[in-house]
Amino acid sequence: MEQRVRISRQNGKTNYDDGESTTSPRHRGVKRERPRWTKQQEHFAWKMVSPSIAFLVIIFAFPLVYLLVTSTHQFDLTKPWKNAWIGFNNYFAILGDGRFWHSLQLTAFYTTATVFLQVIIGLGLALALSKVEIGRGIVRTAVLFSMVLSPVVTGLTWRTLLLTPRFGLLDYIAVQLGIGSHSWLGDPQLALLSVIAMHTWQWTPFAFLVFFAALAALPQEPLEAAKIDGAGARQCFWFITLPLLRPSIVIVIVIRTMIALRAFAAIFSATGGGPGTATEILNLYTYRASFTALNIGYGAALATVLLLITTGISFLFLRIRVSRR
Amino acid sequence: MLIEQSKIKTIKYIRFIVALLLLLLVIGTWLIPVGWIAATSFKPRTSIFTVPPTLVFKPILNHYARALRFLGIVASIRNSLVIALTTTLITLLVAVPAGYAYARFRFKFREQLSFFTLFTQMAPPISLLIPFFVILHKLKMFDTYIGMITIHLTLLIPFSIWLMITYFQDLPHELEEAALIDGASPFTTFIYVMLPQVAGGIAVTGILAFIASWNEFLYASILTGRKVQTVPVAIFSFLTTEETLWGPFAATGTMIMIPVIIVVLIAQRHIIRGLTFGAIK
Repeated sequence: MEQRVRISRQNGKTNYDDGESTTSPRHRGVKRERPRWTKQQEHFAWKMVSPSIAFLVIIFAFPLVYLLVTSTHQFDLTKPWKNAWIGFNNYFAILGDGRFWHSLQLTAFYTTATVFLQVIIGLGLALALSKVEIGRGIVRTAVLFSMVLSPVVTGLTWRTLLLTPRFGLLDYIAVQLGIGSHSWLGDPQLALLSVIAMHTWQWTPFAFLVFFAALAALPQEPLEAAKIDGAGARQCFWFITLPLLRPSIVIVIVIRTMIALRAFAAIFSATGGGPGTATEILNLYTYRASFTALNIGYGAALATVLLLITTGISFLFLRIRVSRR
Repeated sequence: MLIEQSKIKTIKYIRFIVALLLLLLVIGTWLIPVGWIAATSFKPRTSIFTVPPTLVFKPILNHYARALRFLGIVASIRNSLVIALTTTLITLLVAVPAGYAYARFRFKFREQLSFFTLFTQMAPPISLLIPFFVILHKLKMFDTYIGMITIHLTLLIPFSIWLMITYFQDLPHELEEAALIDGASPFTTFIYVMLPQVAGGIAVTGILAFIASWNEFLYASILTGRKVQTVPVAIFSFLTTEETLWGPFAATGTMIMIPVIIVVLIAQRHIIRGLTFGAIK
């Protein structure tokens, strides 16, 4: 079986030359002419992918080039007479832009905090509920809604129905718990925490569902063996359950980080990046610089930096995931 | 011995109660905010602004009537439907064959092409907003269906290809081998042997593509004007004015949720798998 898998990897998904190139030493190193059939398959595969590639080149690669070109221009809709090619000056300007560094810090904090909270809460809930026999289907369905709800509706709902002082549901609960009524989205520090809470609410179900399924599929033998050897509940968790869950935890961290870095609509509709710049993560700063301040050239440079950071981190994380498996 | 056993029983009982309470807490945390939107949409204005928040009220439909009559919501729902359905259809036509090729075949530049597709998937949408904005204006495609659909495809095609790959990879190779021995061409094999096997996967990909396009806000907010404005953009108009129109907002929010919630209830198990990129089988 192992060998067959290897062969099929070498030759696409066929094993028509089983026992030719790998088992018989005489044929090793002999350059075989590629059979017509392989060529036919390659043609077929190309035909299958070409529409998507053609499309992505036109609609993605071409605009990307346009973005890079724009980022080397002074292109300000409020001062059109100044438009000119200015080389890398936009990028130099970014380096000295305090607002950029502030938004970068916010992005780092926001991403780390939300992913961390999602993993901890998701894992905690999944562990606590893994032994419950009833209501599993209901829980799975109930937590699904926050993920498929339109982020705009989520953001606006938090802003109005849930967090408005006096009339919001969450504000009321906070008062009942003795925390008191606050301007949740009006106070700079609270606003950041509120936005983090919102994102955590939106996406903890993802972590929860992954861990919930992983726990249900966990092999029971190691746990039983450990119990027979006299391991306590805590030892069982740290030395058996957690290591077995590690692949799922890594997947959750990777996917959630990638999505958190793209977060926009929910924050935009909840706070718009404000008050001031209190919740202005890099996505929002880029948006505001381009479409509120209408400085397209500078916005393009910011977008390029954002693109590099996001894809860089994503690929780094994917590599970690692949090597850990 | 007897006491010991009854003690164990009590502990088990308490544990069960605690777990049950936690279960209710989890369901409440994630369901109540969603239910609250729906409840608010039926509340008379006086019941929306009460302290404490109330669930006792006489349900009315005024907010729906107001939302549908005055603020162009009907047109935006139609726009959203046209854009989301067309985008989903084209996405599937392009992504399903590509997913099959990446999952099953070896061909020149395969690694580079799949890397490129992954890259398009990872790029934050906002980074391409400026080029899209300028190019659509230059091509006179700003605020048109075709422009918006094309832009939404950039979000959905890479994602759908990756999802379809995971579904095709799950199928046994014997399927194609059998078809090959019977003399079927690759294309015949794809259409008649493979497609029926991944029908469920195609459905999930389609559903998630529809939801993503239906909910999309960033591109729609900048690249549409009055003519093809979608619902997520239109809903903003209730809250940007000085007057807070919570009722009509909640009514529109509920209307945005309805198609998504119906779909989720029908296909929840499959959707969980799709949402987690096959991390859950």
